[in-house]
Order: sequence, then C-alpha cells, then structure tokens
Amino acid sequence: MNIDVADLTRKFGRHQAVAGVSLEAGPGVFGLLGPNGAGKTSLLRMLATVIPPSSGELRLLDRDPGSHESRREIRRRLGYLPQNLGYYPGFTVAEFVEYFALLKDMPPGRVPRAVATAIERVDLGGRARAKLRTLSGGMLRRAGIAQAIVNEPSLLLLDEPTAGLDPEQRVQFRALLRSLGEQATVMVSTHLVEDVGAACTDVAVMDAGRIVFRGTPASLVAEGTSSDTGDAPLERGYTAVLAQSRQLAKTRS
Amino acid sequence: MTSASVRQRASGAARSPGSVTAATHLARLHLISRRAPAALIALAVCAAVLWPALHWRWGAGGAAGQRQLPLLIEAAASAVIAVTTYNPFGEAERASGRWLPWLRLGTALALSATAAGLLAVAATSGRLPGGVPQMLRDLAGVTGIGLICAAALGGLLAWIGPVAYAVLGEFALMGAWTSPWMWPARPPQDRGGAICACLLFAAGLALTTARGSRDRADD
Repeated sequence: MNIDVADLTRKFGRHQAVAGVSLEAGPGVFGLLGPNGAGKTSLLRMLATVIPPSSGELRLLDRDPGSHESRREIRRRLGYLPQNLGYYPGFTVAEFVEYFALLKDMPPGRVPRAVATAIERVDLGGRARAKLRTLSGGMLRRAGIAQAIVNEPSLLLLDEPTAGLDPEQRVQFRALLRSLGEQATVMVSTHLVEDVGAACTDVAVMDAGRIVFRGTPASLVAEGTSSDTGDAPLERGYTAVLAQSRQLAKTRS
Repeated sequence: MTSASVRQRASGAARSPGSVTAATHLARLHLISRRAPAALIALAVCAAVLWPALHWRWGAGGAAGQRQLPLLIEAAASAVIAVTTYNPFGEAERASGRWLPWLRLGTALALSATAAGLLAVAATSGRLPGGVPQMLRDLAGVTGIGLICAAALGGLLAWIGPVAYAVLGEFALMGAWTSPWMWPARPPQDRGGAICACLLFAAGLALTTARGSRDRADD
C-alpha cells in the first residue's frame, strides 16, 4: 500500500483538525471530498510529510516518514501540489518545473525530457519560456501540477488542483488524473464532486476531521435519494452522507 | 507546438548531462528564487554607505559614538541576509528532496561571507572602531538573530530581529552595557561577546539548514 494510515490525528493548539483517520490506498485515483474545515488539507499535509501527525501511525510507500532517511526517499518519489502554491515570478515555466525536478534528485540526464513532458501534459508547451508572472491563475495552477508530476511520482497529492481551471481544462485534467492513476496513488482533495465522479476509482468523504464515508463513486451515488440536496446523483449522495454523519454526531452528543 | 520543440525549449534551461552541472544549476535556480542578486546589490549599498560613514568626523561620544552608524549598517546587512531565507514556493518545496537543507545553508553562508568581505573592504581605508574583527563578530551575531527570527516569524519578517537588536545595541553603546549578549558594546578582544555572537550565528545557521524560514502561521 502506498498510503497506510491508522488512527491519525493532528491538532493545531486546541483545535483538532484530523481526528482519528484510518486509510489505505494503493494505485488509483482517490478522491477526498468534504466541506471547508473538514480536515482534508491537514491530512494531505501530513501525507506530504510537511507536518508530522500528533498521534497515530503513518506509512507512505512502505516507509515510516518519521525517520530521516525514509522521509528523504519518500519525498524523492512524492509529488505534491499544495492548496496555496507559491512561486518565484521571475522564473519561466520550464525553470520552475526544472527546479523541482532537480530538487527531487532526478538523474540529471533525464531532467530536460521530464520537464518537457510534464509541461506538455498540462498543456503549457507553448508557454514553456513564459515568466510565471505573466500567466493567468489557471495556467499557474497547471504549472503547479507540472512540478508535482515531473518526477513521475509513486504518490501524488493534489489539494484543490482544479481551482481556477476552465471547464475544458478540467476535462483534460481528469484524463491526466486517470492516466497518472494507472501507475501511482493519486489523492485529490476537492470540493467538486463531478471531478470525483469522472476521474476517481475510490472516494472518501471527510467531515469534522473524520472519514465518514469510504467507497467507490457509484456507492456514494447509492447513498443519496431524490429528496437529498444536489443537482447531480453524486452531489445528492455526498450531501446525504454528510447529513447522516452530522445526525449521528448530534445523537451521540 | 511539437514535443521536440518543447523539449528543446525546456532544455534551454537545463543543459545538464553531469551531476556537477546539475548541482550548479540547482544552486543557481535556488539563489535566484531567494532573490540573491538583489541581496548582493543591497549588501554592496551597505558597504558603499559604510565607507563615508567611517570618514565622517564624529563629534562627541568617542569610540562608542563612532560605533553607532557602523552598527546600523551591519544590522542592515544582516537583515538583508535574513530576508533571503524567504521561501517563495511554500510547502511544495519543503516536501522535496535531500538537497534543500544544503541549499539553504549554502545561501546563508555565501551571503554572510559576501557581506563580511564587502564591509571589510569598505572599512579598509577608514577608521573602523574595533577594526574588522569587531565588525565580523557583530555581523555574525546579528545575522544569527536574523536567521533565528526567520525560522520563528517567516522570511519576510526576519528583518525585525536585526533591526530590534540594532536599536538595543545603540542603547548599549550609549549606556556602556556590560552583558556579553550586547556584544557591540564590548571591546573587540572580549571573549564573552565573541562566544555569544558565534553561538547565535551557529544557532541561526542550524535552524536555517534544518527548517528554513517559517511558511505558515500554524507551522
């Protein structure tokens, strides 16, 4: 399993962002849905080895990221697109992607081809030499995706990757996700349930720091009824799962 | 656009068959992303300001009074070094491979050495109270404070530490404070002041290497 998590928690001061998440994921595209503040970003940051968990067990790519050596190897094989990707505005798209390829310890001889391929896969080939400060928000997001996939990661974590993309780019991006998921574990955190329906093989719904549903997009659809809120079957399933979990939490308290 | 032309364009930024070339290129990209070229200009300006400051005929105040302006200039150079720790890429960079700590260390050391060299050259023809050894001690200590500040507050706010210390240092010079932690008020051969300054510089370098500057408020 590329992701193997048991009882994972993360606290920020007194706020419990992640409250006992257990999860396993192998190759495929894994969608992580949930409302704002559900804990999706905190979970992804722990999986990206950016922050350590407060408690629980975490194994990534069959290694324990708690040890320095293992963390180094995990990071070499990891791709990560954070929710708020920063960039140096004076870099070109090629320099930006190349910087991350070199940081991730790719063999130098493979770097130029890998950079070009990653830029092409996000459809920025024509802007490879454009400065990042001249790109639109959607293009910057795609450049961010290119840096995340340049090392052909075994574990790819994408936090709101489709934010800022237009509908055509989103359709292309879903195809890219499906292709990446054939080899790697791709975890995508998103608010957009249609992205999950179109691209993901597995889905989890998070609420209040916990995973309240785990299954396939089809099984999430099956959770919803015509009386639930939502315009599409998957939206109705999503809102039904959230309503059930909140009802359960209210009953318990 | 064909894939071959994209590859050709991208390889314009990466003609790196060997690992040494790749390492050099990575270091160059890292330095650019940290705005090291702008930092070099700022350090040169600090040195250019130091030169007339040392030729300025100071009135009252004796040696302590003559140390006031150089201390401010050293603090400005330290603030420049500390601000270059700002990571524009955020967490995407932090989740990358093994080279990052060494790049951070190399950047901090290279800029510190450059600042020391430029200030030492600027001081050669003037009368720097305490001489170059005192200037190096003060610069190292205040740079350490700046690097610690970057780890605690973030790169963009790292200047606060050196500026605050410079203000305190001015009071220390005027009041002839004796604590070794206020090394600007201590003579150049003072061992306590040198140890404190070196300790802070080492702590700042260690934090910069291991953690880098703080990216988010909840880190």
